[in-house]
Amino acid sequence: MSATATAFGAQVPQPVQHGKPGGIMRRLNFGTGLIGGLGLAAIAAVVTNAFIPSGAASSVNYAPIAPQLVYLAALLGWVIGFMAGMGAFIGPIRWLMGRDLTHADAEYMAGKDLGKARYWKFTTDHKVVGIQYLIMVMIILGFGGLLAMLIRTELGVTWAEVFTPSFYNSIIGTHGIAMIIGMIIVVMGPIANFIMPIMIGARDMAFPRLNALSLWLLAAAVPCLISSLFLGGIQDGWSVYQPLASQGPPGMLGYQMTIIVFAISTGVASVNVMTTILTMRAKGMTWSRTPILVFGVFAAALMGLYAFPFYQYSQILALSDRIFSTSFFKPLEGGSVWLYENLFWLLGHPEVYVILIPSTALMLELLPVFYRKPLFSFNFAVAGIVGVVALSGLVWAHHMYMTGWAPAVNYPFMLSTEMISIPVGFLVLVVLGTMWRGVVWTRLPIMAVYAVIFNKMIGGVTGIYLSDVPADQYFHGSMFVVAHFHFMLMGVGLFGAMGGIAFYFPKMTGRMLNERSGSIGLWTAFVGFQITFMSMFVAGLQGQPRRVLQFDDLFNISNWISTIGAYIIGVGMLIFLGAIISSWKYGDIAPSNPWGSKSLEWQTPTPVPLDNFAVLPVVTERPYNYGVPDPYEKEMREHDGDLMTKVGAK
Amino acid sequence: MTATDVRPDPDGPETPTNRPPSMHRVKNWIRRPYARGIMVLTVVIGFLLLPLCWLLLAAMNQTGAPASPIMRDIEQTVFVFTLVSIPICAFVFAVLVYSLLGWKHVKGDQVPKDESPAIRSNTIGVVLWTVVSSALAFFLVVWGLIELAQITANSYGTIPADEQPADSQALIVNVTGQQWVWTFEYPQYDKITSETLYLEKDRPVYFNVTSKDVIHNFWAVELGVKIDANPGAITQTGVTPDKAGTFNVRCAELCGLHHAYMETQIQVLDKGSFNSWAREMGGSKTS
Amino acid sequence: MKRVLVTLMTVVVGVAVVAGIAIYTSVAQAEPPALKAEVAGTLDTPQGTLPHATLQLAVYPNSSDKVPPPATPKSPLGQDWLSGQPFYHPTTTIQVPANSAVTLTFIQYDTGGQIYNPFFAKVHGTMDGTMTWNGNSVTEVKSDNIGHTFTVHQYPEATQPDFFLSVPLPMNKANAKTDKAGYPVDPQKIEVTFVTGDPGTYVWNCEFPCGDMYQEFGGPMQQRGWMAGTFEVVG
Repeated sequence: MSATATAFGAQVPQPVQHGKPGGIMRRLNFGTGLIGGLGLAAIAAVVTNAFIPSGAASSVNYAPIAPQLVYLAALLGWVIGFMAGMGAFIGPIRWLMGRDLTHADAEYMAGKDLGKARYWKFTTDHKVVGIQYLIMVMIILGFGGLLAMLIRTELGVTWAEVFTPSFYNSIIGTHGIAMIIGMIIVVMGPIANFIMPIMIGARDMAFPRLNALSLWLLAAAVPCLISSLFLGGIQDGWSVYQPLASQGPPGMLGYQMTIIVFAISTGVASVNVMTTILTMRAKGMTWSRTPILVFGVFAAALMGLYAFPFYQYSQILALSDRIFSTSFFKPLEGGSVWLYENLFWLLGHPEVYVILIPSTALMLELLPVFYRKPLFSFNFAVAGIVGVVALSGLVWAHHMYMTGWAPAVNYPFMLSTEMISIPVGFLVLVVLGTMWRGVVWTRLPIMAVYAVIFNKMIGGVTGIYLSDVPADQYFHGSMFVVAHFHFMLMGVGLFGAMGGIAFYFPKMTGRMLNERSGSIGLWTAFVGFQITFMSMFVAGLQGQPRRVLQFDDLFNISNWISTIGAYIIGVGMLIFLGAIISSWKYGDIAPSNPWGSKSLEWQTPTPVPLDNFAVLPVVTERPYNYGVPDPYEKEMREHDGDLMTKVGAK
Repeated sequence: MTATDVRPDPDGPETPTNRPPSMHRVKNWIRRPYARGIMVLTVVIGFLLLPLCWLLLAAMNQTGAPASPIMRDIEQTVFVFTLVSIPICAFVFAVLVYSLLGWKHVKGDQVPKDESPAIRSNTIGVVLWTVVSSALAFFLVVWGLIELAQITANSYGTIPADEQPADSQALIVNVTGQQWVWTFEYPQYDKITSETLYLEKDRPVYFNVTSKDVIHNFWAVELGVKIDANPGAITQTGVTPDKAGTFNVRCAELCGLHHAYMETQIQVLDKGSFNSWAREMGGSKTS
Repeated sequence: MKRVLVTLMTVVVGVAVVAGIAIYTSVAQAEPPALKAEVAGTLDTPQGTLPHATLQLAVYPNSSDKVPPPATPKSPLGQDWLSGQPFYHPTTTIQVPANSAVTLTFIQYDTGGQIYNPFFAKVHGTMDGTMTWNGNSVTEVKSDNIGHTFTVHQYPEATQPDFFLSVPLPMNKANAKTDKAGYPVDPQKIEVTFVTGDPGTYVWNCEFPCGDMYQEFGGPMQQRGWMAGTFEVVG
């Protein structure tokens, strides 16, 4: 191995290869991660336990401290141990030691010649990270879906309590946060990681090691959430409003740790995505030649970057309130509950756009391919995305209309909230315009767009009711709100992601997703979705509050219908999952461009080689160069031409 | 041709007309089959959606609502917002339907050859959509702002407890939410307390709402009144119930184990019954 | 064919996993067994002569060798966050007959202090608005002398009768003489009599901050089986 390399005509010293490529990374994988995580967690728990004064466990005021401190120590031990066992710190440690990674090391870490084993390691290849994200997302959504089935069972059994109220309160909160995490990642994870770099003509992302870091931080965070259920649960909604959260059992620490770690993961991922898009687009790919999905992904990363720190901060302060007896959020000791609500919703609102924008941009990306038409008014779509990002940070207090925090401020927030419907409307127009007079190729990915637009209209209109302060005086805290956000986050977010996964499945796995089972799954879930949440709107209109496990007989019928619908969703989603699993193993081998797309990512062979392109592409034309000249256009010009000559003639 | 020769035929393309070409464009556009199809479909879907305006209100009124002017305002808003949203929804659904049933579609595994017109933009469409959606949003905002101002004026919502008028008209109720029971205190009636909310018909009432522990939310359902009960703070709202009967208070913010059971009743009584209830509880009007 | 099989298996396994977890968690969290009031004789009430049922509950400040604690959720390391906390004994699932006069007797062993909301220092919902405290008939207890309350309250069900009962249970003095297990030898004895209507299900909980964490309303106060439970009026 040479000790120097030439870059721009200069001789640049290179790190020297010590031992085999990869060094200690050769031995580190998910297994060592688990050993490190569980081992350090156990050690931390036992050591902390030993330090707690004996007899404290039985004293009234100390009773909760022992399990809390031990649990917190175990969580910290798990996260640090897992990341260490995965080899996340090896790069910085070697840099500190002066033994920086060589090119061969970097290739090893990118998974060169490792086969299937690279999916179990701290692999930096964005394609591997994309697949890993896909698996994580399916696990998280599966966990959230399981909880959803439990919730709907409780609500469907109206004559008895199936679960105790404390467990029910825990599962609604855990379902909420699991699904939110899942929905944030479902497009940003697999598709922003796997597809986006290829789509912009790059070899990888800007910071490949940070890419792997963000994925494995997520993998470290999820067990923290699941473990909370075994320590009493969080007994609060996903927004874990203080001060109720301060009354919760030790499980609440699991939630707080999940968010603290997850916020780091998304911050890292946001920085990575934004830098990649800003600096690594192929030569000739000016902004007007950049596919719309890239804009959507960038916008989501930007919003995530500024919003997540608020959430992380709120949870750190809440943890401090619990463990160190501070009183940030305890009013009777000088704190403020409104402080928590503001911090939370400063994230809570941009975050729904982090979910919606990539999904919508993905739909916009699919439309030209399946209508063989250019995207209608590309600039208008970009304007819509920019408008949403700009307004997203100005609307958060519409979640706080009824808190009594600052009634005068309800006016401007109502204005900004209504205004945000305009840029969202731009995106709907672009969809309609691309569908307009298009010959549609009715394959599974594009059929998802119909489901998405239908749900978006319903979600959007019901959002208008909620944005109106007087109407919110009836609807806030009722099942109407729950149905509205499920229409937006699940109806648009999840169904859009399902279409996107069906579209990119051939490129990511090398096989075609079976259309028949995929469609049956999607449409079964869609039908179940309409039944569940339309009925939930009725329950909300009738006056059912949210987060209640028992309610008046008046709401029985709408809840029975919703529960049956939910079971149908469950079956539909399982069918779709089955389609994914069976197609992954036994599906038809996919050609490298089954959809005839002109986008860069489809110009690579499948499976995509390690460095994506043998020669980096140069982009010379606008995207979406599909379609034939408009026959009406020709006729109109001729027609107008006649008129013009006649009028002009003397 | 001179002006005296032949009377100009306004419909003939052969003769110069003074109709601007754009009108021909609109007419020609309307002549296209899909334009008429989509417009018809929009109207049909719109009419199918129209009953929603009344159905939504029917769902809200199942337990005796509306029982106050505020609730009536809210219902009117729901009605108008639904009415105003129907045209746009109908149009979007019409396009979705027409794209599957009206324009051509292709099935199969083969990548279809390009047949669609390569329309990259249409200024008229974009401008029209922007103007209509902005006008709609503007209408909704103005409606909402005016309504909010009216409701705030009617509910005395921004008047703090110590400045509330000693007006003998209004009834003052101090609402305390505690895990997991609502209790009500009547400071004007020798501070009698109750776990059921008694109100007088057609008499304005101020609520001073607080919590002893976590955040609750005081929701007088059929009266259309809702405000968070925050610990360490007092929030205000108010309403004038104008219908006698039994209504519900529910807690609308998750507050712990028995949040679902944190409900109580509102009894709106006429003046005589209210006064006799107050006397029964041991209170006489002191202020 | 394999594809269809795999898809089908996914659905079957998924449904089985969900159903299994649902059934397991539901059964594992069953409420403590019900304590039924015993019916003996009749009582004259303003609503006429009704069958008379009686029931006794005790409130302990903490568990001991003499009195085991209720079912306690534990962490994997075997620690729990409820030991040392007060609880109702022997159970929190109460069943009383409908359309009867019921007499509840409470033996209160715990200390106490100042209640947050003076509403609960008064007696509500009993037959004549009074309770018998150590033989004396009272309508309220001083708000800084309360140990716990027994508050049965509304259930979100318009078709069952409204029922509200709140009994303040006075505290034992901190320097009261205690036995070997640490409980006062002379606990507070409270008796209330109320009339039940048609059958219905209600919930009850203590309204005195006797738990821990924020405002002392956490811990046992949010756990069925300890300081909260269900109250069923059965026909």
